[in-house]
Amino acid sequence: MAILSTPRSAVQLASKGRPLREHLFRIALLASLAIAIAFLAMLIVYVVEEGWPRLDSTLWENQPSIRRPETAGIQSGILGTLWIIGLTALMALPTGILAAIYLEEYADKTKWYNRLIELNISNLAAVPSIVYGILGLGMIARWMQFGFTVMTGALTVSLLVLPIVIISAREAIRAVPPSIREGSLALGATQWQTIYRQVLPASVPGIATGSILALSRAIGEAAPFLMLGAATLVRFNPEGVWSTFTVLPLQIYSFIARPQEEFAILAAAAIVILLAILLLMNSVAIWLRNRYQKRW
Amino acid sequence: MSDVRNPLPTGTAVPRNPMPTSGTAEIGVSVPNVSVRGPEVPRTIEALDPVFTVSGLSVFYGDYEAVRGVDMTIGNREITAMIGPSGCGKSTVLRCFNRMNDLIPGARAAGKILYHDEDLYGDHVDPIEVRRRIGMVFQKPNPFPKSIYDNIAYGPKVNGVKGKMDDIVEEALTKAALWDEVKDKIKQNALSLSGGQQQRLCIARAIAVKPDVILMDEPCSALDPIATTKIEDLMQELTRDYTIVIVTHNMQQAARVSDRTAFFTAEVDADGVRHGRLVEFDETSRIFTNPSDKRTEDYITGRFG
Ligand SMILES: Nc1ncnc2c1ncn2[C@@H]1O[C@H](COP(=O)(O)OP(=O)(O)OP(=O)(O)O)[C@@H](O)[C@H]1O
Ligand SMILES: [Mg+2]
Repeated sequence: MAILSTPRSAVQLASKGRPLREHLFRIALLASLAIAIAFLAMLIVYVVEEGWPRLDSTLWENQPSIRRPETAGIQSGILGTLWIIGLTALMALPTGILAAIYLEEYADKTKWYNRLIELNISNLAAVPSIVYGILGLGMIARWMQFGFTVMTGALTVSLLVLPIVIISAREAIRAVPPSIREGSLALGATQWQTIYRQVLPASVPGIATGSILALSRAIGEAAPFLMLGAATLVRFNPEGVWSTFTVLPLQIYSFIARPQEEFAILAAAAIVILLAILLLMNSVAIWLRNRYQKRW
Repeated sequence: MSDVRNPLPTGTAVPRNPMPTSGTAEIGVSVPNVSVRGPEVPRTIEALDPVFTVSGLSVFYGDYEAVRGVDMTIGNREITAMIGPSGCGKSTVLRCFNRMNDLIPGARAAGKILYHDEDLYGDHVDPIEVRRRIGMVFQKPNPFPKSIYDNIAYGPKVNGVKGKMDDIVEEALTKAALWDEVKDKIKQNALSLSGGQQQRLCIARAIAVKPDVILMDEPCSALDPIATTKIEDLMQELTRDYTIVIVTHNMQQAARVSDRTAFFTAEVDADGVRHGRLVEFDETSRIFTNPSDKRTEDYITGRFG
């Protein structure tokens, strides 16, 4: 019987113990994760604890007030933030997604101007938000004479998040295998049909996640609004795109700048609301991703 | 329309799906079909009733001439096999037949391909229209990440086909010998099918738009012998209605299913550049029993390539 040609002693499947390096690597990974989560948890615990006395309905029912900090609310800030995000989503998402489709599906990457555009978009994503604030002030508020309105704010923030939307949408579109496009085109579909009915549906999870993360970034911004001169203690809600407004981060900033203890509590409570909006948006992103998840 | 070229004495096979010439589609001409297969037909290297007439075809990727000077014909309702060592340009030539090469930046075809009487690369020809008539099945099954039903319905939909979609789907799946296996899970995601089922789904998808020709690039390379047999049977079945061109690395497959075989190889020219060349094109029985070129013989007997 010459079937078992390998001598039995040569078969060694028993573990020789994993090298130390592998253990160290695992520990480093877990430690990084632990640090990130610990800080997030600390942050949440801290603001909730700090803001707890004010986390009731007066917070979102009342308007801010300098004289009565113990009952002052942040309604104008919440609504201002929602207005800005809604309008930004309406303006930046379609533009960004269409730009991404152009760059991924139509642009001839051998042409210098397309490469230049790509390079510039990556650079734009890294420009500090305060610079967009200056741009918004000079171009939109003053030159276009839109003033310090919701529209000005939303346009400025749209410019700010546009590069991020484009980059994340491009990545999602690029992740759709070329074989899907080939399969569609080989059936006599036009390029637009292929994009609209195959590529876009398949990249919805990625595009949605990227878009929501981009908008989340916009929610947290204070700097460009500061630059735009949005008032901090607006005591009325925005009534339309042409009304004056404030946003939560700006309100938080102005509360913290005040000496009274009540304002510190109010600021913490406002931060909890801001975090809640952010977490809500991120969970929508996760839900969308799971809902439309594709396997290849 | 094809009488001028066609040397057949009686009757001519008219394409079921002729390209519209100068705007007027000549659909509905009913001349009895004559099969070019059968023992009574005298041996000719060229197909008598060609769907494609390729002359002097060279294909470039940028400056690189991947394939040089191909002349061949693809007979109506025949299976034409393309064999040859890897990298000799079989896929490249195949992708010229439905202008899929247009999609590769820098790819360019020189020479002439006549589809019936129409210059496939003529100025007025719309590649979308070409692909609608000349379907393609790829080496790797590529079902859309949608339901089985939607996979089949997609082609007819984008081509604006009216009619009962359910019937179209059932017919295509039946023709592709897949209906019985999937009829109870037609709304399931196509990616849940096995590899062989996916490939038959891709064939069904190609059939659903009622093309004139089906191009297949190594359709069985990822399949087991049983699935392969199923697809080969299917191809035989399909030649009743369709013209098939298949690229394969499997000699037995080419010998089993095809009417004509084209053997390609890569040749190094005087400048030291490799080009794909068509070495021999003939009836399959001739290629496999009595090839006229030494390289063909070496390849099919496994001595080269
Ligand atoms: N998209 C491309 N860009 C540049 N060169 C290409 C491209 N596709 C193919 N080629 C080149 O063209 C030549 C022929 O390739 P092709 O894919 O047609 O070979 P093939 O005969 O189908 O090979 P295989 O049997 O391995 O599939 C090869 O030298 C290949 O490198
Ligand atoms: Mg190939």
